[in-house]
Amino acid sequence: MEKKAFKVEDKLRLVLVGNPNSGKSTLFNSLTGLNQRIGNFPGVTVEKKIGSVRINDKVVAEVIDLPGTYSLSPRSEDERVTFDYLNDSKRTDLPELIVVVADASNLKRNLLLATQLIDSEQPTILVLNMMDVVERNKQSIDIDTLQKRLGIPVVPMNARLGKGTKELKSVIGNYQYKKANKFIEDHESKDALENTISRFEKIKGIIAETLTKSGESRTATITRKIDSVFTHPIWGFSIFLFILFLIFQAIFSWSSYPMEWIEGGFLVFGNWLSETLPQGVLNDLLVDGVLAGLGGIIIFIPQIAMLFMFIAILEDTGYLSRVSFLTDALLKRFGLNGRSIIPLLGGAACAVPAIMSARTIANKKERLITIFVTPLISCSARIPVYTLLIALVIPADKQFLSFNLQGIVMMGLYLLGFAAAMATAFIMKYVVKTEERSHFVMELPIYRTPRWTNIGMTILNKTKLFLFEAGKIIIAVSIVLWVLSSYGPGDKMATVDVKYKTELADSNADLTAVNEKIATDKLEVSYAGHIGKFIEPAIRPLGFDWKIGIAIITSFAAREVFVGTMATLYTVGDEENTEGIKAKMQRATFSNTGEKVYTRATGYSLLIFYAFALQCMATVAIVVKETGGWKWPIIQLVYMGALAYFSSLLIYQIFS
Amino acid sequence: MKSSLADYKVGDKVILKDVLDAQLTIQLYSMGCVLGEELLIERKAPFGDPIIISVEDSFISLRKDDARKMQVELSE
Repeated sequence: MEKKAFKVEDKLRLVLVGNPNSGKSTLFNSLTGLNQRIGNFPGVTVEKKIGSVRINDKVVAEVIDLPGTYSLSPRSEDERVTFDYLNDSKRTDLPELIVVVADASNLKRNLLLATQLIDSEQPTILVLNMMDVVERNKQSIDIDTLQKRLGIPVVPMNARLGKGTKELKSVIGNYQYKKANKFIEDHESKDALENTISRFEKIKGIIAETLTKSGESRTATITRKIDSVFTHPIWGFSIFLFILFLIFQAIFSWSSYPMEWIEGGFLVFGNWLSETLPQGVLNDLLVDGVLAGLGGIIIFIPQIAMLFMFIAILEDTGYLSRVSFLTDALLKRFGLNGRSIIPLLGGAACAVPAIMSARTIANKKERLITIFVTPLISCSARIPVYTLLIALVIPADKQFLSFNLQGIVMMGLYLLGFAAAMATAFIMKYVVKTEERSHFVMELPIYRTPRWTNIGMTILNKTKLFLFEAGKIIIAVSIVLWVLSSYGPGDKMATVDVKYKTELADSNADLTAVNEKIATDKLEVSYAGHIGKFIEPAIRPLGFDWKIGIAIITSFAAREVFVGTMATLYTVGDEENTEGIKAKMQRATFSNTGEKVYTRATGYSLLIFYAFALQCMATVAIVVKETGGWKWPIIQLVYMGALAYFSSLLIYQIFS
Repeated sequence: MKSSLADYKVGDKVILKDVLDAQLTIQLYSMGCVLGEELLIERKAPFGDPIIISVEDSFISLRKDDARKMQVELSE
């Protein structure tokens, strides 16, 4: 390998690897600060964090943060990314220095990865992070001996406080590759098991030489005490449910203000754009197509960012792995895994990042089932649809067992989504075949106070990723939808203009009202209108008319488009005016029978439809990427579509 | 007397003697749970599944099925 001729030049790449919970991300953040961005590894959607740091006067290094891994024998998709990266011999564009970040308070197991890298003859240095914990446990590590025995530079650090950064930079700046002695002989001829065992034999010896023994560890004692409550069969579950309740309360009450500002901002910007740009097709496309579509997704950013924040805090403190411990026995019966709880929780914000977080599940079958059922959890994009429909069919003052019925139905929809997810998982457990045995071996990190910089970065990076992944698709689909609803076959669109010509010319006429009528008539004869009429026979048994048909088609891109489409269909100029849409929808009748469209039966049927149907292009796209093909997303689309259709059919027949 | 880890109760200290599954061995090793090491059974969820053990200062959660594959001896 040409990497042997390694010398620090003006360009350099630092590759950070390390066990989960070794403080790797903290080091990455403290080195790069805000000089970081997210890239994608080719073919997979794992976030690759890239940043840059100045090492000395001459050298500025690029820094890559790879997903945490225990060893170079990958168990999960997350670990495979690191494995593939380190084994890719083609990456020679920049000289690379591998920085193994090890939790010094758990030195033995943290050394495994470093010894594997030494034997792969890659330029490697070892950072001993969390030296403060070692001191608190009244232990000490003989750095010089460790350095000699491993044959690579060792830098003690406390990345959280930035201690040791200067020393690390100086070691990197003066680095010169020299071939270290093989850590174990003939490592290539041994199988993974033998390999690991002989490494630990030697590591044990090194630990005995370099680490002073100590009595009881203080950090472990504190963790034990907290765990006696948090993993208690009764208290543990009660606390978890209480935390969930608090999170959802907080998300819904706190996010309403920023959401209002965003809504207002888009309205102002849209009006400004529409007035500033010359009238015409481009103006319409930008304002009604692209901007409307973007507004529909950006409005959910506060809720999504907040849910990311809470999940990041729970994860960073070490609490989330306790939740996995508590729920594993239950989830196992449904073909899932304790780790599935993270995607299932995240699914309540947005299925896209939630599905990506399923990557830490090592068992392929359990991961697939998790990905398959996560979109059934009611996400934040369903909230506006639920809100509108519930307001439409359930009077605000109606009570059930002295609780507000609207609130009960809302909560019921969330529970229904969760129940459907679990039931689906249970079925899939028997359908999906696997040879792989399911393991659930998981480290429970000691409890820590949250590292706020890490949490801030996680929120920023994940939200950005969501915005770009979903944003791309939404813009594309909004353009298609705009074309479909702005143009129609033949000259029918022109006929509408002719029909209202006299009314428009009348100086006494209410111009806004006439324009609204024109818009409605045009939509009916547009391509979208034709498609709606075409599918009406299929959805009539569910209680839906052609207008709902259009809304279902348009909201395939994203569920929240439903509200906007309804606003257009019922000619309410101002789409924020929910009361206006509601009033018009309440008066709507079927054209052939004259019956009211939005009865309680139709309302419930439509709610169920939106709870179950996979009306989200971004989710489909992410499932294609994560499962590596179209097979599962198509099965998922058909399954959820069928589930939605037949459940709605059943509900409509029961209530009508 | 060797028997499986699943047979012991919370608070027992045992020595890991053998693991009857290669994949599981690698996983346990990479988390610092190595043959000859003393394990403390920290906690069991209802019905004994999953289990939390500690090795030195690492806490590891594993399923009963995995624990059955781990041969241990009571520590003195």
